[in-house]
Amino acid sequence: MQSETSARQWDGTLSPNDFNSSVAAFCERWKEVNDSLPQWLWEPFPVVGDSSCNAAGYLTMENVYHQNASEEVSHEESILGDEDLSDDATLVQSCGKDDIHVYDYHIVYSFNFRVPVLYFRGYRLDGCPLKLEDIEKDLPAYSLKGLRESKWTFMTQEDHPYLRRPWYTLHPCGTSDWLKVLIGSNAANNQPRPLHYLSAWLSVVGQAVGLRIPLGLYKSQ
Amino acid sequence: MAAESPTAERKVVVHLRATGDAPILKQAKFKISGSDKFSKVIEFLRRQLHRDTLFVYINSAFSPNPDELVIDLYNNFGFDGKLVVNYASSMAWG
Repeated sequence: MQSETSARQWDGTLSPNDFNSSVAAFCERWKEVNDSLPQWLWEPFPVVGDSSCNAAGYLTMENVYHQNASEEVSHEESILGDEDLSDDATLVQSCGKDDIHVYDYHIVYSFNFRVPVLYFRGYRLDGCPLKLEDIEKDLPAYSLKGLRESKWTFMTQEDHPYLRRPWYTLHPCGTSDWLKVLIGSNAANNQPRPLHYLSAWLSVVGQAVGLRIPLGLYKSQ
Repeated sequence: MAAESPTAERKVVVHLRATGDAPILKQAKFKISGSDKFSKVIEFLRRQLHRDTLFVYINSAFSPNPDELVIDLYNNFGFDGKLVVNYASSMAWG
């Protein structure tokens, strides 16, 4: 665990070894805090002939169902106004099969940035991939606001490093910066435990894509 | 959405703590209903600071989802009778 011990101040990154060695504990912890949620699984991906590849795999949480409901009506207003908008009188839309979307989320380690990166995609029940404007309709107002305004979380489309198909992703260039702020220098040796790092990271990227994280994940064990 | 219970009605003391070069509030402590969502704390901060892009987090551990109830955050992460909420400005990139 002390593979990257350094007297310098922590740079907000996670080493490949720390990522690899913590993924099992991360999946376990997620299951512990709520096993009725969709689970994170480790997907090994052996890379033939590449001995430099330490993290040969990625985390997946797939088949996450999303159904738009009447809340969608209020989201546009809450971006603009700052009043409390709890409108109990909104009508419930009749939800047909067209309204059900399915999402896959992958956590892939980036060797360039030395941080985890979230990749995701959405599709309809018939397998048809969702366009960006469809995905945006599924996102809560706070996600859209953050994606549009924050320098640190913005969405791009990139080739999935392992699957080589275009997925949506939150660009990793700001990750180490905001993790340095969030985790700060309270950690011993200025470097947090990997599980602390992953859950802190997920709390921010989860918000950016409207993924609700159970609070239990953040409690120290 | 939350079940009616005595605990949800109680007020929670929130202490807003500036980090980095974020401006310090004159009034950094206030009470909020436990049944309110965390988004209310975020909105309060934005109004007080006249600033939209803020980075808000609790105990060096995580950034709370705006839909979380204040009482849940306090029960799990509060200490000394209050919920400490840290905030920072989004830094510019070098």
